[in-house]
Amino acid sequence: MHIIVCIKQIIDPEVPFHLFRIDPVAKRQIQGTHPLVISTYDEVAVEVALQLKEKVGGRVTALTLGKKEALQALHQTLAMGADDAILLSDLNFEEMDSFGKARVLAAAVRKIGEFDLILCGRQAGDVELGLVGPFLAGELGIPCVPLVANFEVANGTIRMRRPVETGYEILEAPFPLLATITNDTSNVPRYASVKGLRAAMRAPIPCWSSADLGLSADALGPKPLRIEIDELFIPHREMRCELIEGESGAEKARNLAARLKALGLIG
Amino acid sequence: MVHILTFCTASQPEIPRHPLELLAAARALSAQLGEGTVHTLCVGPASGAYGEELIHRGADRVLTVECPSVEAEIALAVVESAVRHLAPQVVLLPHDDLSGAYVGPCLAYRLETGIATDCGGFAVQGEDIRWLRPVYGGKAMAYMRIRGPVQLATMRSRAFDPLPADPTRRGEIQSFPADWESVRPQIRVVERLEEKEEGELPLDRAEIIVSGGRGIGSAEGFAVLRELARVLGAAIGGSRPAVDLGWVPHSHLVGQTGKIVAPNLYIAVGISGAAQHIAGAGSSKTIVAINKDSDAPIFKLAHIGVVEEWEKVIPALIEACREWRS
Repeated sequence: MHIIVCIKQIIDPEVPFHLFRIDPVAKRQIQGTHPLVISTYDEVAVEVALQLKEKVGGRVTALTLGKKEALQALHQTLAMGADDAILLSDLNFEEMDSFGKARVLAAAVRKIGEFDLILCGRQAGDVELGLVGPFLAGELGIPCVPLVANFEVANGTIRMRRPVETGYEILEAPFPLLATITNDTSNVPRYASVKGLRAAMRAPIPCWSSADLGLSADALGPKPLRIEIDELFIPHREMRCELIEGESGAEKARNLAARLKALGLIG
Repeated sequence: MVHILTFCTASQPEIPRHPLELLAAARALSAQLGEGTVHTLCVGPASGAYGEELIHRGADRVLTVECPSVEAEIALAVVESAVRHLAPQVVLLPHDDLSGAYVGPCLAYRLETGIATDCGGFAVQGEDIRWLRPVYGGKAMAYMRIRGPVQLATMRSRAFDPLPADPTRRGEIQSFPADWESVRPQIRVVERLEEKEEGELPLDRAEIIVSGGRGIGSAEGFAVLRELARVLGAAIGGSRPAVDLGWVPHSHLVGQTGKIVAPNLYIAVGISGAAQHIAGAGSSKTIVAINKDSDAPIFKLAHIGVVEEWEKVIPALIEACREWRS
């Protein structure tokens, strides 16, 4: 089984509120001293791919669209256990919306050739639109199975496990397919070992440009962009927390209950 | 004339809140864009039963499709057919697992039109709509501009309050001839595994959520929070450390990588308020924080705070609430 995982490198999403800065003109986050990491759900997708490979054999190829520094994310993926990694990088790729990104990824998938499964995180940890996965399935004309947490193999059949409000759904769909990956307790990403990272740093990672993919600038999605951030801002939260006082915990509890009741929030 | 189409799935006897919120959003949008009608596409076995209520809550016309179940591919085919047939200028879908992760994005792809997912609002200038949505885990907000033949948006739950029912409102209810029978779904649900504890309220429908974090300290501690939740008729939630430590199931995770909730009242107990958690609970109408550490970031976000060890507060809070009940 050949599994392709699409990952995105983003600025660490765990940056606390008070250190979070934006460039309102460029309409994006300012990196500052914060590290670059694999987007949360994409890292989960790598874990899911590796677990499936461990069950059925095959290989895992990681694919990312980004600048040169995204090599670091690919090195991490290799160190986690992926077999191959490919960087898609070109100045032409920098001003694209989800349509353009899906087209570039689809061209790379076609160039890779045979595959059985494509995994994408359910949404990136920065703009969080959740569009590239479904759009890529559309480009390739394969089924898109949303919000899968894991794959199970029973009697030679691969089934998907999807968390829903009431528990889990077990799904089947014809391969090749694309699944968008969500997290649950079964797919917490493994750590990349230091030894693995050292080996991964030496692994050659091909970098494909638009020319390598046979994509002209016109082929990078409809223009003008279909989806754009028009304005980015940090909401002003002027919150004055009303502290509930009391001589003891129990008194504070009673005062809190009375306050909540007075506000019509409970009771 | 601006036509707005909203989407409602009808698989349970009672009409859920989210499609009614979409109608409130559609009416607000329609009022700002000028004259126009609001149509609701209602798909599922109970669609006939929803018609009148949807009109009382703001729809001008309800189009029903009575298919036995609302599987993803059927929903997509029916919505696509309605959008092509009615040519609305705006389509509002609920941002739930079905529409936010599948129907909306796939429809946008098929129509080659822009889409704004997980929207909490919009700003209108003339005929121009900008869609407001959280980005970077809620640390920033973005006005998105989308282009294409139709404005497509999925709206997060609780961004709008449903309009009060107006029994004097009149509208049309008609069956929409969507050819759902010829759709051969490729994705098949072969098994459903129930994992819900008896009587537990789902997070996304709760008016009150009691949530615990690392500070609760143990699974036994969570049993006390569950008792408070029971007394208040609330759902139980947890921050990532509490879920990772196995004190509360993953399906109750509130945060950027879990459920995004916005109840009327969110009671955060022993939760410090990491960015990851605030992304999931920050839009709650009233946040109450109970934490022994007065410097915990949660107090910068909470409306009401109690600085105290939770063990000294929660049992007495349960007691006080019980007294009112009896």
